[in-house]
Amino acid sequence: MKETKHDKISNFPSYLRDWIKTFRGKATIICLIGLGIIPFITNNSYIIGIFNTFMIYTIFAASWDFLAGYVGQVSFGHAIFLGIAGYTTAFSTRYLGSPWWIALLLGACFAVGFSLIVGVPALRLKGPYLALGTLAMSLILYQLFLMGSLGILWENAFPGTELFGTDGIGQVPPISDIPIVQYVAIFLIMCASMLIFTHLVKSKTGTIFKAIRDDETGTSASGINTTKYKILAFLISGFFAGIAGGLYALRFSGVNPGVFQPLYSFYAIIMAAVGGIASISGAALGAFIFVFLGEILRLLGDIPQLAVFGGFVEPIFIFSILLILIIRFAEQGVLKPMLERLQNMWDLLLGR
Amino acid sequence: MSDALLNFLIFGTIQGSIYALLAMGFSLVYGVGGILNQAHGAFYVIATYIFYWCFVNIPQYGYYAGMIIGIIATTIIGGLIYILLIKPLKESHVGVVIVTFAFAFFVERLVSIVVDSIYHNMPYIIPGSFNFLGVNIQYQYIIILIVSLSLLALITLFINKFKLGKSIRAVAQDSEAASLMGINVDRILAYTLMISAFLAAVAAVLYVPVETVAPHIGWNILLNSFAIVVLGGLGSLPGSVVGAFVLAYARAFTNYFIDPVLSALIPIIVIVLMLVLRPRGLFGKKEIN
Repeated sequence: MKETKHDKISNFPSYLRDWIKTFRGKATIICLIGLGIIPFITNNSYIIGIFNTFMIYTIFAASWDFLAGYVGQVSFGHAIFLGIAGYTTAFSTRYLGSPWWIALLLGACFAVGFSLIVGVPALRLKGPYLALGTLAMSLILYQLFLMGSLGILWENAFPGTELFGTDGIGQVPPISDIPIVQYVAIFLIMCASMLIFTHLVKSKTGTIFKAIRDDETGTSASGINTTKYKILAFLISGFFAGIAGGLYALRFSGVNPGVFQPLYSFYAIIMAAVGGIASISGAALGAFIFVFLGEILRLLGDIPQLAVFGGFVEPIFIFSILLILIIRFAEQGVLKPMLERLQNMWDLLLGR
Repeated sequence: MSDALLNFLIFGTIQGSIYALLAMGFSLVYGVGGILNQAHGAFYVIATYIFYWCFVNIPQYGYYAGMIIGIIATTIIGGLIYILLIKPLKESHVGVVIVTFAFAFFVERLVSIVVDSIYHNMPYIIPGSFNFLGVNIQYQYIIILIVSLSLLALITLFINKFKLGKSIRAVAQDSEAASLMGINVDRILAYTLMISAFLAAVAAVLYVPVETVAPHIGWNILLNSFAIVVLGGLGSLPGSVVGAFVLAYARAFTNYFIDPVLSALIPIIVIVLMLVLRPRGLFGKKEIN
């Protein structure tokens, strides 16, 4: 096992060259290049903003997908990590004046801490407890951060700062005043996160994760401490969800208690499920579909001629139907079938 | 002081009996089918909003019509959920949980589109109150107590004595063996979900006048039901009844004597404490781990 890994690293350039030669590799590179040059071809802050959201959600969806798809631990409270990291980042940039990347890391660390608090009791047990325990935790945090009386207490203890209350934390400075710099920073962070995830699931640890997902009893019978690995997976997932949360706070220049709602956990699930569970690049595609379809639906909702449909073009309503249909009829998601179609067409074009 | 004590006892009892209805259905579905129904709160929301809609839109008899239509429709929807969504996905545990989670969102959005997303209040069945040891008790409370306690007794009787109830218990013990004995497991599971939806709907129409009508109330219901079954033991019916009253009294106690805001935190404290100290709950079976 160790030797093959070593081989891979020593043959790094040729390994990459082989990967690029495959259809998947080409498609990924083209998509990444396309994504990278967006801010250089358009100045439209609306479009750049949508792409920023898409990249942040990609990290978020991938972190959920990693935990659910590869380790088999379904969390319904990923909003916890998004919210905690968002609050930490917003608080430290706004009130402590720390630079954005320190705030981002601090937020991710807080998310890791919370993933320990949530994960350790819940992971001692199986499936249902984790799902509902995480959901319960996010609901409680939502109520906690919404509390006005706690906000007054906090303001008395630390004058001049606001943490609890319906308004949340606003006026968070962005990563940079120049949109392109912010875009590139988010882009690079997203690429790094996706790279880490892809390598992680291919590594030896990733194999153990997949073994736990497929047969937990068998894995622990092989002498592997499954609880340790499950907690490790929870920490990794929490860290990246925290990164996404920090970026979220920086990109939307603020957070409010709403980020703790089950809604945001739902976002992660729908993005991962649309792209296909247990596929990191699927999470990216899912996030793309989610963000852009959501934006289109929002624009449709504003058109007065479509008022006959009432509020039925509301994004979350449509997405909940979409999620039910996808899980019910196409558990593979859309990425794998789509890639196969595309590859067939590509081969046809090349005359293979 | 004695007023607060009496209020705490009365409100705790009322809330406990409502929670018992909700948690019993939730626990039953888990115990019989191993199905973790995230849409349990959605049943409550459906019943609440049908009730509210009928009350507003049907003149004169809207209140009672809403109650009856709400309970019947929710029960049917519970059966449909099983047949259309849960049954095809029974093999994948994750699929069931995600689908019911999505359904809960679907319901939350649907009611806020069709009705609206503002808070509403509903009148009591019989308005007015009587004086008991210096404390005003609404007639509604008495109705809640009588209906829910008798329903709990009926369900227990049904599960233990009737043929259908015995089949439900058989499926809960071993669904494969039960199907070999000629029990249609799918039908039993559909009935179980219908019972669960029915109990949630009854709880909704009784309790909504005391609380408020809003699309997101379902999540709180789900949270409390989960805390109760973790306390009592997932899948244990006596456990869910005891757990319901313990949780309700704990919430009422913090509400009246400590701080109303903290009462919202009781469920999570219960969940975390139980998961750490005694994961199988007070009455849970040992193999649930």
